[in-house]
Amino acid sequence: MGPTSRETWAQRLGTFRASPSTFMAGPEGEDLGRHLLSDLRSEKLSEPTKVSLLALSLEYPAQLWPDAPAAEVAATSLLDTLVLLPPRPSALRRPLLLAATTALAAGGALGPTSRASRRLLPLLLGLASGRDLGRSFGPASEQRPLQATAWECLRELESCKPGLLGGCLGLLRGLLGQEAAVQPLSLLLALALRNALVIQARARAGLQGLLVAGDCPTEGGPWNWMLAEEGDAHLQPQAPSWPAAEEGECCLATLELSPEEARELRAAVAQLLDISYLLTPVAQAQLLWLLGWALRGLRGQPPVLFKPQLVRLLGTAQLTLLHAVLALKAAFGEALFTAQDEALLLRRLILAAQHPALPLPAHLFYLHCLLNFPENWPLGPAGEEAAPLLLGSQLCRGLLPSLLHDPMALLARLHLLCLLCVEDEEKEEKGQDQSPRQYLEELLAGLRQRAALDGGPRALATLCFQASYLVARCLAGQPVVLTPLTHGLAQLYRARPALAPHFVDLLDRVGPELGEPLKVVLRQEVVSRPGRDEALRWHLQMLARVADGDAQSATLGFLQAAAARCTDWGLQQALLQVCRALLRAGVGGGLADLLQALARQLEDPDGRDHARLYYILLAHLEEPKLGVALGPSLAAPALASSLVAENQGFAAALMVQEAPAPIRLSMGPHRAKGPVPVLQLQVEVLEQVYSLELRFRVERQLYAPLGAVHVPCLCPGRPTRPLLLPLQPRRPAPARLAVRALYTTPSGLTCHAHLPPLLVNFADLFLPFPQPPEGAELGFFEELWDSCLPKGTESRLWCPVGPHGLEALVSRHLEPFVVVAQPPTSYLIAIRLPPDSRLLLRLEAAQADGVPVALRTDDWAVLPLVGDYLRGLSAAG
Amino acid sequence: MAQRAVWLISHEPGSPLCGTVRFSRRYPTVEKRAKVFNGASYVPVPEDGPFLKALLFELRLLRDDKDFSESRDSCSHINKTSIYALPIGGEELWPVVAFMKNGMIYACVPLVEQTLSPRPPLISISGISQGFELLFGIQGFLYSGQKNDSELNTKLSQLPDLLLQACPFGTLLDANLQNSLDSINFASVTHPQKQPTWKAGTYKGKPQVSISITEKVKSMQYDKQDIADTWQVIGVVTCKVPVPPILGFYQVKEEEVQLKITVNLKLHESVKNSFEFCEARIPFYNRGPVTHVEYKVSFGQLEVFREKSLLIWNIGQKFPKSMEISLSGTVTFGAKSHEKQPFDQICIGGTAYLKLHFRILDYTLTGCYADQHSVQVFASGKPKISTYRKLISSDYYIWNSKAPAPVTYGSLSLFSTDNASPSCVHAKRTTLPSIHHCLLSSLPAKHALFCATYTNCRKHPEMYGTH
Repeated sequence: MGPTSRETWAQRLGTFRASPSTFMAGPEGEDLGRHLLSDLRSEKLSEPTKVSLLALSLEYPAQLWPDAPAAEVAATSLLDTLVLLPPRPSALRRPLLLAATTALAAGGALGPTSRASRRLLPLLLGLASGRDLGRSFGPASEQRPLQATAWECLRELESCKPGLLGGCLGLLRGLLGQEAAVQPLSLLLALALRNALVIQARARAGLQGLLVAGDCPTEGGPWNWMLAEEGDAHLQPQAPSWPAAEEGECCLATLELSPEEARELRAAVAQLLDISYLLTPVAQAQLLWLLGWALRGLRGQPPVLFKPQLVRLLGTAQLTLLHAVLALKAAFGEALFTAQDEALLLRRLILAAQHPALPLPAHLFYLHCLLNFPENWPLGPAGEEAAPLLLGSQLCRGLLPSLLHDPMALLARLHLLCLLCVEDEEKEEKGQDQSPRQYLEELLAGLRQRAALDGGPRALATLCFQASYLVARCLAGQPVVLTPLTHGLAQLYRARPALAPHFVDLLDRVGPELGEPLKVVLRQEVVSRPGRDEALRWHLQMLARVADGDAQSATLGFLQAAAARCTDWGLQQALLQVCRALLRAGVGGGLADLLQALARQLEDPDGRDHARLYYILLAHLEEPKLGVALGPSLAAPALASSLVAENQGFAAALMVQEAPAPIRLSMGPHRAKGPVPVLQLQVEVLEQVYSLELRFRVERQLYAPLGAVHVPCLCPGRPTRPLLLPLQPRRPAPARLAVRALYTTPSGLTCHAHLPPLLVNFADLFLPFPQPPEGAELGFFEELWDSCLPKGTESRLWCPVGPHGLEALVSRHLEPFVVVAQPPTSYLIAIRLPPDSRLLLRLEAAQADGVPVALRTDDWAVLPLVGDYLRGLSAAG
Repeated sequence: MAQRAVWLISHEPGSPLCGTVRFSRRYPTVEKRAKVFNGASYVPVPEDGPFLKALLFELRLLRDDKDFSESRDSCSHINKTSIYALPIGGEELWPVVAFMKNGMIYACVPLVEQTLSPRPPLISISGISQGFELLFGIQGFLYSGQKNDSELNTKLSQLPDLLLQACPFGTLLDANLQNSLDSINFASVTHPQKQPTWKAGTYKGKPQVSISITEKVKSMQYDKQDIADTWQVIGVVTCKVPVPPILGFYQVKEEEVQLKITVNLKLHESVKNSFEFCEARIPFYNRGPVTHVEYKVSFGQLEVFREKSLLIWNIGQKFPKSMEISLSGTVTFGAKSHEKQPFDQICIGGTAYLKLHFRILDYTLTGCYADQHSVQVFASGKPKISTYRKLISSDYYIWNSKAPAPVTYGSLSLFSTDNASPSCVHAKRTTLPSIHHCLLSSLPAKHALFCATYTNCRKHPEMYGTH
């Protein structure tokens, strides 16, 4: 494939930059890296296009060459391209060096086994140290920029692979003495020195003459990878963070230096510091962070070496330099900084934090530095923002917040003011003039006044609430501050109820010191003035947050009045939210009336349903369960029905849940009396249940639907009374009853369970006829007997009798129905079969093994049942 | 101590995304280190699209603020520095240094050479101040002498090359990008010269050192018994406590649709009466356009900007012999239309101010000066040394004394005036302490190629580097 045109590359690079991941996933992604490398050598592409290709490889090597072998190939190709450039001026040499370095370092290919590394390192060192590399390395005019670039490349490689240049320390020191690139060389030497110290300390070795070692390898010669291999596992922070933050990690204390080595080290550091003024401010700052860390904790290396530099550095106005000085301060404390130095630094920071020539972000950073100032003798706990001891209100007066400040500056300064107020409180009340606290109050009042502006930007309101929050957090223990704040906020609400969301947010976030009193005054504010119509939704939103069990009647009164004006869905929902809050707070009686009224009068059906639901909940659930059911506050309903939007906790708590049966039911003895058959059910309790409701369903609708049976409480191990279940048969027939149990568990959940079905036998339906007057029994029976025909039917069958004889059989099974008895051989039996059938039995002239039975019934359908029954009797005995 | 990535984003409120990434640069070798240092708390630098969206939201630039949004407006969402945590893809990218200036958002992500959980304090991260310097440097370069969009575009197109020079691997070498531009332009000079090698190019022209002392004077004047006036001079070395150069009062009375205003200004006799310019700007906020003005000035000219509801009293180069001038008049306003007339959060009701703008060359209130014969330069060559002084007004307000006014530093009685006040100068109108010892804040010299530190300006400013 031929080289791609300039336009195609421009377009391709544009697409790539817009979203590298999308591009790489597309058809062109796979070959991008390869095309880029080959087109760098194309003669048809101009230098600027090639520079833009290299720029891409500087930023996205991981996308172009995703693994170490690919990175190695890329670096080799880039180096080849570099060597092949014609010896005229070219804009490609610098970016090619940078790109090869980036590919190796970012691709993880840098190492002794990498050929590209073995080519690049001596090449860089040769360029950097100004060795003649022959004409192939471009015209003389390019040597200086290339030299500086080579140093930077070496430094980056040392950063990514500590110890890489450990073997060249002597060479670097030697070069520093000559006229060479002072800044990159200084930075590289400082970095390599620091890395060597750390690696050797870890290996518990000395510097082993590294600082005075001689020459370094040339191209093709062996590179000393020893230190780098040792340092490999421990990438070291170059400018490590605050010493206090990583106490214990500094291992330099174990480094044993001979007096000779210590002297050499001191000389090297002093040399670096002495010429540091030649560096740009940002480079000086890097050098100081590096050397400060290198010497911290090193035995016998007093930080006094830095002293001459401090004389000039304490006055610096450069952000990075001042920051580096603070780092030195944190590292060495009073070993390097006197109390006067500390005071001076503080004053510098105070000035810098307000200097009009500095931009706002710098002001804010300096303020941060002030509140985290590394004091020689800090009093407070580490890690907390505090005003330094030497920073009195005297010094801070220029740093007090005012309404004219940018919001971030105002908040930062306000924090400082709060800290001053804390101190002020701790000191004796001076009782003179205006205190910082009064100033704070005035400022907050000003902020509220601005926030109260109708139609003003929301940012102003936000700022006011952020300030209030900050004050409430810093000065939580000072009622003298919080009381006026509370009342001021109440006034603000009165002036602009539209800020209700901000108030709710504030209440959600502040502690009880401000939150509780603020809640009370805001509630009063709302319920005592039935606001204008447009404010109603804010009042309701506010009330939903602040309403609780207190001041019930005022709250309910307000809601009743408001209900009439809640004409749209949104307002109704807001109103119901307040009801919900009251429900949760356990407000009872008056609320029930209100909910009932709402369930009738609200225009929107959703609102009415919602009100009804709340009413039902209130009427049926006990207080703790209400709390569980309504859960935490509910998000604004976004669905068409607010009922659907009730939250998950609500659903989980109120939904009936399927569970294994907590009880077992069985049939008790048959009781044949009363107008209808009644089942006696025996209960065996397996788990404790409350509010048990047993529901029965008669299969095939043989009986009328059965009423539920309720039991308030059942406990395992406690005796239970049998449950009575009256039946209303539609036909005199046995049936199966499906049984379900609904109940509440001790944890408040409502469950339901399916129980095994109950079987109702034919005999369970038997009822006796009313007892006829004495002496009229036979006549009564004969009358019944005759009445069965002609509608009914008559049948005869042989009923076997067990060993106990007929008498025992009758007394056991048919006793309640006997009308005329002539034991042991003859019985006349009349049975009522609800709803309106009868069964008459003549058991006469029993023999030893059985009795002939004549039976009549007015319902022929029961005949087979009777047959089964009688045969069953003998089997049962 | 390095940056993982840097972005320039133009804020475009009307556009669908509300902004465009104009420039971005990633540093993969630094990113690789971030991965190692941050360990489990590592969050990769996102692509431009997601970064743009997250940053604009965090800076409250994404949407209008009609409704309360908790993630943006919550009272506990407090930023006291220009350093943010951006939620991106369920994780938080931190620290992101970002600020907006002239509609352009400058952002970078410094490397933190340790774990990010828990977050270390900002002061302990060396890359933070470096990030600021980088962004300030870019900003300085973009807006030095830039006047229109095409110039801005030209400068933006130069940025990749510049950063390749000033920040090739994410570690900033020189915050002054102009230096880098020079070195690119002069890279083809044939013979090398003696010079600091961090500046790889050479400078054509005579070596020159100029020292400029600029003082800025702020003032708040209330003309009230219970609030003391304040003023502050910054940029000072050893000095007498000065007086406010111009003392005055401003009175506004509202009479139906008219405002009756009276202004009186007096130049202090010790102040050099030779201004480069001097004017008083009298804005009227939260009102309609000015429809009619009747006035009388004892000196200078009054310009009326009707639509802007602004009066500018041009006082000129000198105060008259009496040193005292006055303005009185009535201003009538038309109906308020929200679009055009300025809104102000402070100037509500009678609260109003006038603001003085002036500059006096070759003069400092404090008497501070640099002695050009005492400047030492430790470098080869003999640069020409020149020194300058000037006094500039900065936030010089005179508030309407007939209405409430915001108190800025607290009334001065809050803190007793102390003669040993170290950093800045405050004074009461009634008692003027005599001598203050003040520190000089060495202003970051924008075009200077040296870094100067003063401990006492009356003695010898030391110079420790130049080229």
